[in-house]
Amino acid sequence: MTHPDSRIVIRGIGAVGGFGCGVAALEQALSGGEVRPGRVALPMTAVSDMAAFMADTVLLKDFLPVKALRRVDHYSRLALLGAHLALADAALPEADRAGLGVVIASGHGATGITFAFQDSFINDGDICASPTHFANSIHNSAAANISIMLGAAGPSLTVSQFHLSVPSALLTARQWLLERRVERVLFGAVDELSRLTSHYWCRQHGPAADGTLPRPLRTGADTAIPGEGAAFLLLSREEDAANGGYCTLDSVTTGRNLPPGPLSASPGLLLLGADGIQATGRRYAEAAAGSRIACYTPLYGSMPPGPAFDIASAALILRSGVVFPTPAGDACDFPAAVAKGGEPVGPGPVGILTLDDDDGHGLISLGSL
Amino acid sequence: MTTAEKLKKILVEELNLEEVTPADIDDDAPLFGEGLGLDSLDAVELVVIIQKHFGLEIKDMDEGRTAFQSVRALAAYIDGRLKS
Amino acid sequence: MPPVAVTGLGCICAAGQKLADCMSSIFLGRGAPAPPVRFTSNHPVRYPVFEVAGFPDDPAMIRTSALGLHAAREAFADAGLDRDSLALLRVGVCVGTTIGCAMSNETFCRQVHAGIDPGMGPIEVIQRSNPAAVIAREFGLSGPCQTVVNACSSGTDAVAIAASWIRSGICDVAIAGGADELARITYIGFISLMIADDSRCKPFDLNRKGLNLGEGAGMLVLESDAVRAARERKARAFVLGYGSACDAYHLTAPHPDGAGLRRAIGEAFAEAGISAGDLSFVNAHGTGTPDNDRVESRVLRDLMPGVPYLSTKGFTGHTLGAAGAIEAVLTAACLERGEIPANAGFSTPDPELIATPVREATPITGTVALSESLAFGGNNSAIILGRGESS
Repeated sequence: MTHPDSRIVIRGIGAVGGFGCGVAALEQALSGGEVRPGRVALPMTAVSDMAAFMADTVLLKDFLPVKALRRVDHYSRLALLGAHLALADAALPEADRAGLGVVIASGHGATGITFAFQDSFINDGDICASPTHFANSIHNSAAANISIMLGAAGPSLTVSQFHLSVPSALLTARQWLLERRVERVLFGAVDELSRLTSHYWCRQHGPAADGTLPRPLRTGADTAIPGEGAAFLLLSREEDAANGGYCTLDSVTTGRNLPPGPLSASPGLLLLGADGIQATGRRYAEAAAGSRIACYTPLYGSMPPGPAFDIASAALILRSGVVFPTPAGDACDFPAAVAKGGEPVGPGPVGILTLDDDDGHGLISLGSL
Repeated sequence: MTTAEKLKKILVEELNLEEVTPADIDDDAPLFGEGLGLDSLDAVELVVIIQKHFGLEIKDMDEGRTAFQSVRALAAYIDGRLKS
Repeated sequence: MPPVAVTGLGCICAAGQKLADCMSSIFLGRGAPAPPVRFTSNHPVRYPVFEVAGFPDDPAMIRTSALGLHAAREAFADAGLDRDSLALLRVGVCVGTTIGCAMSNETFCRQVHAGIDPGMGPIEVIQRSNPAAVIAREFGLSGPCQTVVNACSSGTDAVAIAASWIRSGICDVAIAGGADELARITYIGFISLMIADDSRCKPFDLNRKGLNLGEGAGMLVLESDAVRAARERKARAFVLGYGSACDAYHLTAPHPDGAGLRRAIGEAFAEAGISAGDLSFVNAHGTGTPDNDRVESRVLRDLMPGVPYLSTKGFTGHTLGAAGAIEAVLTAACLERGEIPANAGFSTPDPELIATPVREATPITGTVALSESLAFGGNNSAIILGRGESS
């Protein structure tokens, strides 16, 4: 049974990406309006590397002893860092971790360690396959590592729906709270740029030209730069959020039934998940026509967890009441009112739109506390 | 290099023993639980490590349990099987 | 929580390609695992598996998704729903899997190793094969699409998630279940963990040595009362309750006391408003690994003493992400039939396990059963099903 009267609140944010680590780093990137990408190595192609928004997990040592991480791969480290940052941001007492539900959205899973597992038996024969690599290559390894290291003994869910992983997983996370199955959900999205995913990305889209930045609102060209990272949210029902929070999570819809043309009900501000990929860019332009929009993907790059970073950005806007500038907002080539930055967010919800190249969509609505 | 020395180097590298050097490992310290702090997943990894580095197959965990008591016990087990 | 009606069932596994065939084969005690036919291994031991024979590969999609689609077709047909009728409804899809989302392809990896620029073909097929999206595309489903990758509890979790969508009005109808193919990567992986039996798996037996992998898919059509009333459709079963909890203990080993499993079962009882005494039987996870069966039998004895139980993995193998779904389908079908099959592979009781499974096909009384799943990563899930109106 759901309880439509109880509102869901975002209490804490943990984010790690090409912009840095933590909600303050994200806020700084949003205010500054630009993040320069780093490089990711491409060992399997003639091109040696390409521009990418890479995430560093060195600060994980502030939360966990090095010994606890000896078997933990980059993918799970990203998730563990995001998780700890979100709990620290919400100042959740340690005693409240036991009942946490954990919901993870990941487009591709632990691809680096999956590749390493295959290496182990390709190199030395099937009898030398590494069981440790195998155990860490399961898709829910990040959720498992989080539950183990935090002692989070509520239900655990990992969802993999490529670019719609975030809205899809968030739909169920919200259900758990409305059904009172759990008191709190630690929701996170994570993906890594491994040897495999960077190679795949390069093959699909080609490396970005040197020195260029993503121009997601210019739909006529492919300007995407891949990213990796983790964005986590601590969610609870409103009555639990007496000690603050960012905003409410009012609705999540996802499916394949978005009518063609502009969105029928345009929110006060619409954050687009457009990330510089031409194929989906056209869909965004069509849906967002006539809306008041913002788009922050150039600060973290193109990746399945993108919508979780969008949610974090929208949460920061709703808390301060002021919109951040849209990077290269003047490059918008479709009829929409691009937020310049500095203006009040105004009444009405903030919508987060995610579209994929398979007729799928996700629309998440956030409101002020 | 003795089998025990070789083993310590392999353990540190293959099991990513953080903040531990081969010299830190006591020949008689238990590998599991207290001591090196290995667990059931390391135990099966150890089976693969022995296969890969010494060409010896440990067919089941009953066999492994005795051999995996300590570096000394494991080195003796390996030397014994390599001789026969 | 209000019950959610199940109006269609579909199942494909080593025991058969349709639910009715699976049921008759299982009750005849047929089927035995054999070394894999679809792939080879240079491992010196040939571990037996439960493969689906006579199910050809489809070059357009990974086998996992083809198996899922096959079971979904059966379930929708059973529910009397076709593409045209589904187009008028809000229909969601929730599918559990392990292999179905893995961006891994051995051919690709071997080319990389050989210094050959790897072709992207296999990876592109994976990108098009998301098991939930494949079903959504094939049937033109407009509602939420979710692929659950909770390792071995995925199938159970997917059915419960879909039930939640129906209860809250997010969907009118949902297709939910799980699918997984037998793959070299999981075959080698489970051998490396030393939890594969080199003979037929023996759930709850003294001489159990591990699991046999299997493959297949199970699918259930869940439907809102309003739509079902309008269609005048009888329920084949009901989803009555669900619970899920994580051990938060170890990546591959279950909590020795089954801490998470106990909480999951307790929650499922509370949600269904029943107690252990109401259960006709339990469809246990029963993989045949020493650890799993020890923990599970302890929890069964403590929480559900005297309730008949069995593992169907001696007929299907461990189908990983599909297991919970296949077992939910078989649980519903056994409630309908009023009988449960023998726990295949069990012959010698283990003195350490006080509760023992049923040794032969056994008539059941009552209308409610529980199916449980334990997963790598420590997740435990239990779902309670009730007998439908059509039996």
